[in-house]
Amino acid sequence: MRVVELVDVSKIYKTEFYEVKALENVNLEIEEGDFAVIMGPSGSGKSTLLNLIGCLDKPTSGKVLINGIETINLSDKELTELRRDTIGFIFQTYNLIPTLSALENVELPMIFKGISKYERERRAKKLLGIVGLEREMDRKPNELSGGQQQRVAIARALANDPKILLCDEPTGNLDTKSGEQVMDIIKEQNEERGVTVILVTHDPTLAKYGNFIIRLRDGKIEGIEGG
Amino acid sequence: MYLELARRNLQRAKVRSLLAVIGILIGVMAVSAIGIFGESLKATVLENFEDVANELIVGPNYYAGYRYVDEKDVNQIEKLPYVKSAIPVKSDTLLVESKKLKAYLQIYGLSEKDAEELFDAEKGVIRLKGSCVVGKNLADTGDIKVNSKITINGREFRVAGILEDTGARFDINPNTAVIISQDDFSKISDKGYTMVIVKADRLDHVDNVKKAIEERLNSREDKVYVFELSIILERINEAFAQINTFLMAIASISLLVAGVSILNIMLMSTIERTKEIGVMRAIGAYRVTILKIFLLEAVILGIIGSSIGSVLSLAGGYAIDYIILQNVKYVFQPGTLFYLILGFSVGLTTAVVSGLYPAWRASRLEPIEALRFE
Ligand SMILES: Nc1ncnc2c1ncn2[C@@H]1O[C@H](COP(=O)(O)OP(=O)(O)OP(=O)(O)O)[C@@H](O)[C@H]1O
Ligand SMILES: [Mg+2]
Repeated sequence: MRVVELVDVSKIYKTEFYEVKALENVNLEIEEGDFAVIMGPSGSGKSTLLNLIGCLDKPTSGKVLINGIETINLSDKELTELRRDTIGFIFQTYNLIPTLSALENVELPMIFKGISKYERERRAKKLLGIVGLEREMDRKPNELSGGQQQRVAIARALANDPKILLCDEPTGNLDTKSGEQVMDIIKEQNEERGVTVILVTHDPTLAKYGNFIIRLRDGKIEGIEGG
Repeated sequence: MYLELARRNLQRAKVRSLLAVIGILIGVMAVSAIGIFGESLKATVLENFEDVANELIVGPNYYAGYRYVDEKDVNQIEKLPYVKSAIPVKSDTLLVESKKLKAYLQIYGLSEKDAEELFDAEKGVIRLKGSCVVGKNLADTGDIKVNSKITINGREFRVAGILEDTGARFDINPNTAVIISQDDFSKISDKGYTMVIVKADRLDHVDNVKKAIEERLNSREDKVYVFELSIILERINEAFAQINTFLMAIASISLLVAGVSILNIMLMSTIERTKEIGVMRAIGAYRVTILKIFLLEAVILGIIGSSIGSVLSLAGGYAIDYIILQNVKYVFQPGTLFYLILGFSVGLTTAVVSGLYPAWRASRLEPIEALRFE
C-alpha cells in the first residue's frame, strides 16, 4: 500500500522582501514498510518536505496524499486526527513537555485520543520498556540525558500505534552511541512492526538504515537510490 | 489530566501566578466587603422602621367627598382576616396654650388602650381620663412637665405623661403630638376618624389586608384609601441597593486591574510556550484542547483568588462595620452570603474573561509556525 504520495508539490515561502522556493515540483511515492532516508545539504528543503508529509504545513501547489487520502481539503480537525492516529513525530530537539514526566509525555497523544487512564498507562509503560527507560518513567525531561529524552520522544511518537514515523534529524543533537541506540529502536519498529519510516538527515552514516535514499538539492529531488 | 497540566504550568511560574491570585483576591475582597458593609448599613437603618413595617393607614378619600372613616367601617376592618388590630384616630389642629407656649398643634383622640399600644411614656404614665400625654419635643420646647397644666381649645388638661422618642413613625409623630381621649376630643372638636391605623399580624400579610380592606369598603365607591408603610421600606431598600451597586462598581475597578494583569500573565505564558503548543498540536491536540488547557489555568487562578478573596472579605466587612457602624451584628446575616457569592462569581468571571483572549490566541497558532518558534 502507498502510504505517502506527493504529486507535483511546490512550497514557496513568501516574505515581505523575497520569495524562497523551498520545494519545486516534487514527486514522491513511499510504500508501507519503507524506510526512506532524505538527505541533502542545509537549506535544500528536507524539513519542509517532512512537514508537508506530516500535515503540519500545506503545499503552495500540488497534492499530498497520506494513506490514499487527499489532505488539501481536510479541515483542521481532520488533519489533527490524521497526525494523532497515523503519524508519529520525532524532532531533532526532542520537544518533550517540560512539566510532564516521561510516562506522562508518552501518555499525552493517548490523552488527546481519549484513551482510558488504565489503558494508556499500561501502554506507555510498555513503550518505555521498548526504549529501555522503564526505570526513568517518573523523571521530568530536564532530569534525563539527551539520548534518554529522544528515546522518550520515540515512545511518545509510537503511542497511538502510527503507520508512519517522521524523524527530522533525530540524532542531530546526540553523541554517536546514543544516536546508534535511537536509530536501532527506529529500525526495529520498521522491521518488526512494519512502521513506515521517513528520516531526514545530513549524516551520511545513517544512509545504511534506509532501504532507499532520496537526495534533495535546492528544493528538487536530485536522485533516488535503492528502493 | 488537563487540570493537572494546568496546575503544573501555573506552578512553573510561581511568582507570576501568585501575583495574579493576589490581584483577583484584592478585587474580590473590595467588592464583597463593600457589599457586606452596604447591607449592614441598610439593616441598621431599617431596624428603626421595623415596628411600623406591618402597618397600614386607612384614611377617608377626600376626592370622593369623604371627610372621615365612619365607625361602621372601623368595625368591619377589625373583623377582616390577618388584622391584628385596628386603631381609629381622630385628629384636629387646635390651639394649645401653656405658660410658655401658644401654638396650633395636631391633637389626637385615641382610646387609652390604643395609646398604650402605640406609645411608651418616658416620664409619668399614659392616662387619658381628663388628662393628656405630650410628645418629648413639645415638652422640651414648651417647658411642660408631668402634672403641668395645658389648655387645648380653651379646655384645661393635666399632663399625665411625656412620650418616649421612638424614632421615625409615619402615622402619628410622637415627638410633637398631644394625645387625649376620644371622649375629651369630642368635647373640643367635631372631627371624626381621620385615620385608622391597621396592623397586619405578619409583614407578608400586609398586601392581603390591603386588598381585603379595599374590597370590603371600596366595593361601590372609593370611600377610603389605604397606604402601606411597607412601601417606605421598599423605597429604602431600593435606595440602598442603588448606593450599594454604585459602591461596588467602584470597587470592581480593582477587579478590572486584576483582569488586565491576568491577561498580561496569560499572554506572556502563551508566548513562552508557543513551541510547546506547536508540539501538542503536532502530536494530536485539537485547537479546542489547547484553548481548554489555557482557559483552565485562568479558571484555577480565578477560583483560588476568588475563594481566598471571599473569605478575607468577611474579615474586611467585619472591619469596616466595626469602624464605621461600631456594630458587627449584621456581618453574619443571609445578605452577606449573597455578596460573598457575588464577589466570588465576579472574580471568577474576570479571570475567565481575561484568560479567554490569550487562550484563543494560543489555539489559533498554526502548528508549523508554533513549532518553529524558539
Ligand atoms: N518559514 C520560512 N520562511 C521563509 N523561508 C523559509 C521558512 N522555512 C524555511 N525556509 C527556507 O526554505 C528553504 C528550505 O528550508 P528547510 O528548513 O526545509 O531546509 P533543510 O533542508 O531542512 O535545512 P537544514 O538541514 O538546515 O535543516 C531554506 O532556504 C529556508 O531558508
Ligand atoms: Mg531541517
